[in-house]
Amino acid sequence: MPEPLVEAIAAGRIYRRGGTSVPALGRATCRIFPGDRIALLGPSGSGKSTLLHLMAALDRPTLGEIAWPALGAAESLRPEKIALVFQVPSLLPFLNVIENVELPLLLGPAGQSARAAATGALDLLGLSELAEKLPDELSGGQAQRVAMARAIAGKPRLLLADEPTGQLDHATAEALLDKLLSHFAARDTAILIATHDASVAARMAKEWRMSHGILETAARIAPVP
Amino acid sequence: MISIWLSGLLARRLGRLLGTATGVALAVALLADLGAFLVSSSASMTAKAAASLPVDWQLQLSGGADAPAVTAAIGKATAYDRLETVGYADAEGFEAQAGGTVQTTGPGKAVGLAPSYRRNFPAQLRLLLGSLDGVLIAQQTAANLHVGVGDSVTIRRLSLPPVDVRVDGVIDLPNADSMFQAIGLLPGAAPQAPPDNVLLLPLDRWHRLFDPQAAGRPESVSIQFHIGIRHAGLPADPEAAYAQTTNSARNLEARIAGSGLLADNLAARLDGVRSDALYAKVLFLFLGAPGAVLAALLTIAVAASGSSRRRRDQALLRIRCATNLQIMSLAAIEAVSVAAAGIAIGWLLAGVLSAAVLHAAIFAPGMAIWLGVSALVGLIATAAALLVPALASARNLTVMQAAATVANLPTPLWQRIYLDAALLALSAILFWQSQNSGYQLVLAPEGVAASSVDYHAFLAPLSFWVGTGLLTMRLLGLSLGRGRNLLAQALRPVAGPLSGIVAASLARQRRRVTRGAVLLVVAFSFATSIALFDTTYNAQSRIDAELTNGADVTVTGTSAAPAGSMLSRLAAIPGVAAAQAMQHRFAYVGNDLQDLYGIDAGHIGEATRMSDAYFHNGDARATLAALAGRADGLLVSEETVHDFQLQPGDRINLRLLSLADHQYHVVPFTFIGVVREFPTAPKDSFLVANASYVADQTGSSAAEIALLRSSGDPAVVAQAARAVTASVPAMKVSDIGESLHLIESSLTAIDVAGLTHLELVFAILMAAGAGGVVFALDLVDRRRALILLSALGATHRQIGAFLWSEALLILTVGSVLGLAGGFAVAQMLVKLLTGVFDPPPQSLILPWGYLFLSLLSAAAVIGIAAIAAQIFSRRSAARGLREL
Repeated sequence: MPEPLVEAIAAGRIYRRGGTSVPALGRATCRIFPGDRIALLGPSGSGKSTLLHLMAALDRPTLGEIAWPALGAAESLRPEKIALVFQVPSLLPFLNVIENVELPLLLGPAGQSARAAATGALDLLGLSELAEKLPDELSGGQAQRVAMARAIAGKPRLLLADEPTGQLDHATAEALLDKLLSHFAARDTAILIATHDASVAARMAKEWRMSHGILETAARIAPVP
Repeated sequence: MISIWLSGLLARRLGRLLGTATGVALAVALLADLGAFLVSSSASMTAKAAASLPVDWQLQLSGGADAPAVTAAIGKATAYDRLETVGYADAEGFEAQAGGTVQTTGPGKAVGLAPSYRRNFPAQLRLLLGSLDGVLIAQQTAANLHVGVGDSVTIRRLSLPPVDVRVDGVIDLPNADSMFQAIGLLPGAAPQAPPDNVLLLPLDRWHRLFDPQAAGRPESVSIQFHIGIRHAGLPADPEAAYAQTTNSARNLEARIAGSGLLADNLAARLDGVRSDALYAKVLFLFLGAPGAVLAALLTIAVAASGSSRRRRDQALLRIRCATNLQIMSLAAIEAVSVAAAGIAIGWLLAGVLSAAVLHAAIFAPGMAIWLGVSALVGLIATAAALLVPALASARNLTVMQAAATVANLPTPLWQRIYLDAALLALSAILFWQSQNSGYQLVLAPEGVAASSVDYHAFLAPLSFWVGTGLLTMRLLGLSLGRGRNLLAQALRPVAGPLSGIVAASLARQRRRVTRGAVLLVVAFSFATSIALFDTTYNAQSRIDAELTNGADVTVTGTSAAPAGSMLSRLAAIPGVAAAQAMQHRFAYVGNDLQDLYGIDAGHIGEATRMSDAYFHNGDARATLAALAGRADGLLVSEETVHDFQLQPGDRINLRLLSLADHQYHVVPFTFIGVVREFPTAPKDSFLVANASYVADQTGSSAAEIALLRSSGDPAVVAQAARAVTASVPAMKVSDIGESLHLIESSLTAIDVAGLTHLELVFAILMAAGAGGVVFALDLVDRRRALILLSALGATHRQIGAFLWSEALLILTVGSVLGLAGGFAVAQMLVKLLTGVFDPPPQSLILPWGYLFLSLLSAAAVIGIAAIAAQIFSRRSAARGLREL
C-alpha cells in the first residue's frame, strides 16, 4: 500500500470572529492516495473550501492534524507538489495568460522549461489563442480554464480544484474534465474536485460528501473511467 | 445608503482613508505654515525696521514758524515719546593752528544739540575721544584740521566775525546721511552728500553764535525737530504701518500748514520694508509655491493610489443600478471625510512645526485667511483626487472598463499635447530672456532699498520643475513599455529567475510605477533645490556679513589711534587664527574724495575671505598677485573706472594726506585692475593699494583697521578684543554676528532661515510621503495579488523580488533624476536671485548631509512598506483569500 499523499486525522478548523467561534470544518479524517479521483460534494458553506485549503497547506487546522506522508513538509508542497484551482478569480491581473500559467513553474525549480510547459498546458486545454490576453480581457469561464491550465502545467502529485467548472456550461465542463482526466490517466496524480455538479462528480472514482462541516468519505466508490 | 457606505469605508478602508488624509494634511500644513512665515516675518520686519531707525521724523521749521504751536500739532498728528530741537547753521569753514601751520577747511555745518539729545537719540553720535559734553568735532574734520581734545577751532560764520571754540570731544556721526539730509527735495532728486566738516555745539551756545547769523542770512540757518514716534502703536504689517505713518505725516503737514517741511524717515524705511515684504513673497513664490504644488500633487497621487479599487467599487454600484448622482454622492462622502480629517491633521501639524521652526502661532491675528486658504486647497485637492475621477469614470468608461484591474486608459491630454516639452521650452526661453536682459530679481543698492520683481521670471524654474516631472513620466512610461527586456536584465540581481515576469508585471503597471517614481523625482527635486539654495544662501549671507564687517572680527581705529598698532596683542587673543592690518585713508581722485585701503596683498586673504566675485576678472588670486607684484599698483572701483575712463596701465595721480606737513600731495599710482567689492569698503567708489607704498608716500604706516579671523566663536574673540582695546575709546570692535543681524533686517537677507527650515522639513516629509506612502497605498490596493502569489507557492524571498524590484526602480529613478533636476532648479534659482547674493556665489554648495537624510527617509518609508507587504503576504493565504 503506497503512502498517502495527504492524511487528515480528526482535522478541524474553527474561525474566530470577534468573541465568537465559527466552526468551518469538524474533525475530518481522510486520506488521499496517488491516482485517486475524488469528487467532494456538498452545499455552499459546508466546509469544502476549508478542507481543500488545509490539504494544500494554505491554512492550518485548529483541531487534529494534517500530514503529507508522501510529499514531505508543508513548506515544500506548493507549487510543484500540490496545485490548486481556486474558487475565486485567481489570475494575477498584471500578467497575461501565458505568464500567469508559467508563474508557478518559475516559482518552483522548473525555471528554464517554464514557458514550454505553460504553452503545453494551454494547448492541452485549447487556450493557446488566449496566451497574450490579460485576465481582465477574459470571460469568467476562460479565466477558470486558464487557472486549471496553471494548475496542471507543473505536473503536480496532487491537484485540488475548488469548483473548477462553476462558471462553465455543461459541454465545456465535460470537455475540460475529459482533457483533464485523459491528461492524468497514465499518471498517478491524485485529483480532488470540490463541486456542486453531480455530472462532474459522476466522472470521479470516489465521492466524498460534506454537510455542515462534517465529511463523509465513503459515499460512493466507483472505478476510474 | 450613505451611512452604510460611510460605515463600510471606515470599517474596511480606514487605512486608505487615513493615508489619503495624510497627503491632504501635508498640503494643508505646508500652506498654513507658509502663511505663518509671511505673517510673522512681515511683523518682525516692521518691528526691526522701526527699532533700528535713529530718528523717525525730521521737521524743518520755516522762518517765523510758531515752534510751540508746531510741537502741539505734532502731538495731535501722532503719538511720540521723544522730541529734540536741533539747530543747523552753514559756516564758511573752520580753521585751526597745528604745528605752526594754519589748517583751513572748506564750507561746513555747525549743529546745535541740547544735552538731552544724546540720551534720546543715542545712535546719532559715537564718541571717539574726550567727552560728549561741550563742543564736539566730527572725526574727519578733526583729521583735516589736525586738532584733538582741548585744541581751539575757529568757526568762520557767514557775514559775521569768526569765533573760537575749544574742542571737548571727537565724534563719529554714524547716520550723517539722514542727519544732514536736504528736506523738501522733490522725489527722485539726487541725494545730498553730508557735509565734509561738522562741528557740534550745545544748543544754547549755538543760539548765541548763530541767531545773529539767522537775522542777517536766514537761508543759512535752520531749526529742526527730531522726533521719535511711539512704535508700539504701529501695525505689524509693513504695508499698514507705512500707510499709517504716511497718513500721520500728511495730517501733520495739514495741521502746520506750511510752518515746516517734514522728512519722514520712518515712512522711507517702512517703504523699504514693504519691499522686504515683497521679497518675502518672492521667496514664498520661489520656495513655497513649489512645495504647495507638490503637496497638492501628493494629495492627488495618494488619493489616486486607490483609484483602481475605487473604480471597481463604483463599477459594482453601476452594475447594481446606482445612478451617477448616487455614485457621486458616495464619492463626495469619501472626499468630505478625507478632507475633514486631512485639514484637522494638517492644522495640528502646522501648529507643531510653526511653533518649533518659526516660533510663531498659526492661530495668530492675520492667519485667518491663510487657514481658510489651506483648508480650501485641501478640500479642492481632495475633490480633484476623488470626485473628478469618479465623474470621469461614470461618464466615459463602460462598466467593464471601469471594473478592469489593469485599466487600458486613454493617453492623458498632457502627453498628447506635449505639455512636458512645451514647459521645458518655456522655461529655457524665460531663463534665457531674464539672463540676457540683465534683469536682477532684487536690487539692493545703498540707501533706501528697492525691489524690481519680474514675475515672469518665476515661471522659468517652475516650468522646468513641472516639465521635468512630466517628461520623466513620459520617458519612464515609454521605457517600461518598450524596454522590458532591458529592465528584466537590470532586475536580475534582485529578482533572479523571476526578473522577466517581474519586468512584465512592472511594465503593465507602468502608470502606477511611473506615478510613484515621478512623485519622488518631483519631491527630491524640490528637496534638493531648496537645500542647495538654502545652503548657498546661508553661506553667501555669511560672506555678505564678512564683506560688511571686514572679517570675523574687525577692530576699527583712527589715524591717530590706529588698530594696527595693537595687532600683535590682538593676534595673541585665544581663538584668533589670523590677523592682518589694513590702512583706511582718504584720497582725492580729481575733486572726488574716496576711501583708500592699503593692504598686504600677499597675506590679506589669511584674515578675511577674498572672493573671486570681488574682482572684475573673477580671479582674486591673480589680481592680488598682480597688486603685490607692483608697488604702485592700484585697484579701482568700477564706478571710478567708468567716471574717469581709465584703461589698465594708466597712471593715476591721487592726492594723499602727508604726515610730514598735514597737506594733501600728489602720489602717482598705476591702474592694474578693477575691484567690485572689498571688506568694509563702500559699494560705490573706493581704491585698493599696497600698504607699504601708501606708507612710504605719506610718511605714515598707521593701519586704521585690524582684521581678525577666528577659529572659534567670533563673539568671544570680539569680547576679548574689546578688553584689549578698552584703553582706547576710539577703537571700535565688531564681529560678524552683528553684521549678520544687520543684514538679516535688510533687504539682502530677510530671515529666510525659518522658511527654508520649514521647507526642508516638509521636503523630507514629502519625499517620504511621495515614495513611501504612495507605494504603501499601492501595495494595499494590490494585497490580493500578494496573497495569490503566496497561495501559488511563492516564497518570502520570491514575493520580495516583486516588491523590492518595484521599490528599487522607484527609488533609483526618483532619487537620481530628482537630484539632477533639483540641482538644475537650484542653479536656475541662484542665477535668477543673483541680486539677492552680494557677492554672487561662485558655485552651489552641496548639502550632502541633508540630501542623504532625504534619500534615507524616502528609502526607509519605501522599505518599511515593502517589508510590511512581505509580512502581510505571509499571513494565512486561505484567510486572506476569504477576506478579499
